[in-house]
Amino acid sequence: MNQPARVLSTAAPSPATARTAMERIAAELGRAVQGKEAQARLVATCLVAGGHLLLEDVPGVGKTTLAEALARACGLSFARVQFTADLMPADILGAQIFHAQTATFQFRPGPLFRQLVLADELNRAPPRTQSALLEAMAQGQVSLDGSTHALPSPFTVVATQNPVDFSGTYPLPDSQLDRFMLRLSLGHPAPDVEAKLLATRGRAPPLDAVQTVSSPEEVDTLRTLAAELRLDGTVADYVVRLARATREHGDIERGASTRAVLALGAAARTQALWEARDFVTPGDVRAVLVPCWAHRVLLRSAVQGVAARDEAAHLLEELTRKVPAPR
Amino acid sequence: MTKGARLRLVLRDVASGCAFASMAVSGQLPLWTLGLYGVALVAALAGKRLFARRAKLTALLLLGVAAVLAVNVTSGALNLVVAACAFAGLISAHRLLSAPDAATDGQVHLSGLLMVAGGAALSGELVYGLFLVAFGVLASVAMALGVVEAAVPEGEPVPVRAVLRPLATGVTFAVAGAMAFFILFPRLNWNMTGPRAAPGLGPATTGFSNTVRLGGAGTIKDNPRIVLRATLSPDPGVDALNSYWVGRTYDIFDGLEWTNAGGVRREREPLLTLRPGGDNLIHQRVELLPAYGGRTLIALETPSRLGNAVANGSTGSRRTFLQELAGGEARFLEAGLSYAYEAYSLPPGGSGDTFRRLPSVEQDALLALPEALDPRVSQTAARVLNGEREPLAAAQKLAAWLQREHAYTLELSGEREDPLADFLFERKAGHCEHFATALTLMLRTQGIRARLATGFFGGERVNEGYILRAGDAHAWTHVLVPERGFVTVDATPPAHRTSQGSRLLQRLLGLYEALESRWRNSVVDYSFRDQVDVARALVRPPKGSENTERSRLPPPRAWGAALLAGMVVYAAWRLVTRLAGRPRPHEATRFVDLVEAILLPARLFRAEGETLEDLDARLAREGHPLAPALAPVTRRYLEARFGGRPLRQGEAEQLIRALQRAVTAHVRLEAQRARAAASEPRARAS
Repeated sequence: MNQPARVLSTAAPSPATARTAMERIAAELGRAVQGKEAQARLVATCLVAGGHLLLEDVPGVGKTTLAEALARACGLSFARVQFTADLMPADILGAQIFHAQTATFQFRPGPLFRQLVLADELNRAPPRTQSALLEAMAQGQVSLDGSTHALPSPFTVVATQNPVDFSGTYPLPDSQLDRFMLRLSLGHPAPDVEAKLLATRGRAPPLDAVQTVSSPEEVDTLRTLAAELRLDGTVADYVVRLARATREHGDIERGASTRAVLALGAAARTQALWEARDFVTPGDVRAVLVPCWAHRVLLRSAVQGVAARDEAAHLLEELTRKVPAPR
Repeated sequence: MTKGARLRLVLRDVASGCAFASMAVSGQLPLWTLGLYGVALVAALAGKRLFARRAKLTALLLLGVAAVLAVNVTSGALNLVVAACAFAGLISAHRLLSAPDAATDGQVHLSGLLMVAGGAALSGELVYGLFLVAFGVLASVAMALGVVEAAVPEGEPVPVRAVLRPLATGVTFAVAGAMAFFILFPRLNWNMTGPRAAPGLGPATTGFSNTVRLGGAGTIKDNPRIVLRATLSPDPGVDALNSYWVGRTYDIFDGLEWTNAGGVRREREPLLTLRPGGDNLIHQRVELLPAYGGRTLIALETPSRLGNAVANGSTGSRRTFLQELAGGEARFLEAGLSYAYEAYSLPPGGSGDTFRRLPSVEQDALLALPEALDPRVSQTAARVLNGEREPLAAAQKLAAWLQREHAYTLELSGEREDPLADFLFERKAGHCEHFATALTLMLRTQGIRARLATGFFGGERVNEGYILRAGDAHAWTHVLVPERGFVTVDATPPAHRTSQGSRLLQRLLGLYEALESRWRNSVVDYSFRDQVDVARALVRPPKGSENTERSRLPPPRAWGAALLAGMVVYAAWRLVTRLAGRPRPHEATRFVDLVEAILLPARLFRAEGETLEDLDARLAREGHPLAPALAPVTRRYLEARFGGRPLRQGEAEQLIRALQRAVTAHVRLEAQRARAAASEPRARAS
């Protein structure tokens, strides 16, 4: 079913061509999950920014489909790991297997050694397994029994969580949440989209409509381009001031970390590509601020789950009005 | 016009009026310029901007005025500085009547500055100072209101109340700063530029001429201006001193005028000894104030030694030598606005002069009579004396007769051919000079030597010393008594010897003169030397302090001053580094400010926390008609600000012009639509 990818030349794309490529990817995602254009763009942003994505949503709104569609659209090798209470680190990392003929141990890579890994219901796995995954996410490699195994490039983890049903789960610690660049929730589709789904779903699975429009090489090129975009000193200062504002805010227990600052910079750089710009504006920073930071700030109030994310988003939006943007 | 704008214009006009008044108080501006300016100011305050439509044409009027002034200057009728000041005033008047826009405001304030500068050259008096401060405050407030007004969107009220408080603080700081600057900044004296008006309230009123002429009205008696201050030691401690303060004497009378025999006696002395004194001399430290206006030293009768004189001029104070003239007059060699000196006088009772020691010309003059003396004078004197030959008793008898038979009056009109006969036999009324002249001459007809003395009578206690007013000027008679010298006999009725002004006026004038002298000492005559004194006073203990113990360490005052100076320097350094450390607004930031100003008429404002980028995105989302025009501007702004691609030469202007055109077209279209919408229902109703 996969068509040959219309791959851009890997030689130094311009912001304009980068935008076209990203729009192509987002358009394919839109085919799989209809009516979620903004989220589709953010997913593409996260991929190009080189971050990992956390999807928080109730079951059945298309989280898995979205991840699979992303893999397919970009031609990435894909693995889906259903995290359960008995999942062990070796189940995802791989293991040393003894070969009787050669009398040696040989490493058999686990499902993590794919370009796109979907960690479904991440919070159901025990902390040991969670941290094994998160370590791999941070390092880009897996260390096992003294040997190091590099993960493929690009390497992206899309993790999902159910923010409502917490029974039998091991909620991710804040330090682990910090490793996800963006957090999204899809939400229920609009009524007309849902009705259309009902009418068409029976015929073909949505993923079939998704075509491969990019390649791992192109994603790598886009990443390089995004990482090199100009971030003016005043904009960097703006990001830092925003971080300080979260740290000093009365309703926030723990504000944005340095990793959060770096992630926001990377996400804002990629956001600038959507406007085909080769530099970052304060507007780019604000556009990705909530998905980038809402899951990282720890509130003083006792609310949890969706309510906590909403409140955090609200506080962050308030901060964007209070912290003056550079003019 | 909004309330704020009206307030600003009134403040501006009144400020200009104050600036003009600061020149006018010198009393040197031609009367017609006062009239023209006054009319213009009243019209402007009434809101009648008469020249608003014809600014260029009416400027020709100024050319005419300039021509008139130029003619006056070339003909010598007007000083060049005065003419320049008058012209500045009329320029201001023209600007007051023009259309009140930003440029006109600036010109009004600028001409105001010119006028206060002119006022400083013309007078620089206390009243000038008051007008200067008023101008500074009013003009600052008016300008600040103008700035605020420009920043407030069209149609919205100017927050006058909210603005006035920080404004008042700012103005206070500015005035305090100006004072500190004045006190501490090394200064140049430039007081010599213009013709300076006499200090105080117009020209000085007394002063000594070389003659005393009888006749005319004596208006001087009700003048309460203070001319002299003196501290006496030993201090008599009485409230009314009622003493004679002599300036000079006269010995030759020609029927109309008193003059002196002989000329300059001593040319240039630091200290004049008029006559030897004993142990019981009265010491006086005297200050002659600007209202005095003469150069003759005044001392209590009878002066013995005079000296230690200082003349205070517009360029500072300096020691001056003294000159002795005929009639026992001592004069300052150099002219000043005010003087200070010391004098020693003999106690009352006689001058101790003996006839033999007088110069021979004076000896002869003491009995001389005018050729055309009315014979009745001699007859009357003989009749009144009735054989009394003792000089003092005779003089007292004649004085008593004069006081009994003649009235005191200042209402004397017209010149008389023989004022003495007129006083004695016709009008039987006159002022002190008439009484004194009559007594002197009547004594001389009887062979008794006498002369006329002029000066002041009185002495009103103020603080620790005594003051004399211009109205205390007086004339009396010196009778030569053997063994005692000249003895004072006063023929004027006692009630009319001192000044006759009203009590309240005297008090008010006293207050003004005190303020005025303070202003003169600490502002007008404040020189580099005074600055050094201030600096010295900061580090050295005050004069006459008890602590005479010598120490190698600097006194505590020096430490305090150094600490204070250090704190001031530190605060200034902090301020400067803060200002210097503040990043200069980016060129693109100034550009975006301009863009936002252009968008105001289209009622496009940034919401709280919104940037131009957000505004642009919002307009694009809403499909606003101005969005296409704004997009390229926003893009270039973002590139220039954050993308490292600065605006090219002239690019900003080009973008601004394009946006301006779009906004203007949009606003016009909106207005048309609004009018159409408004007229539609009316059309239907009819």
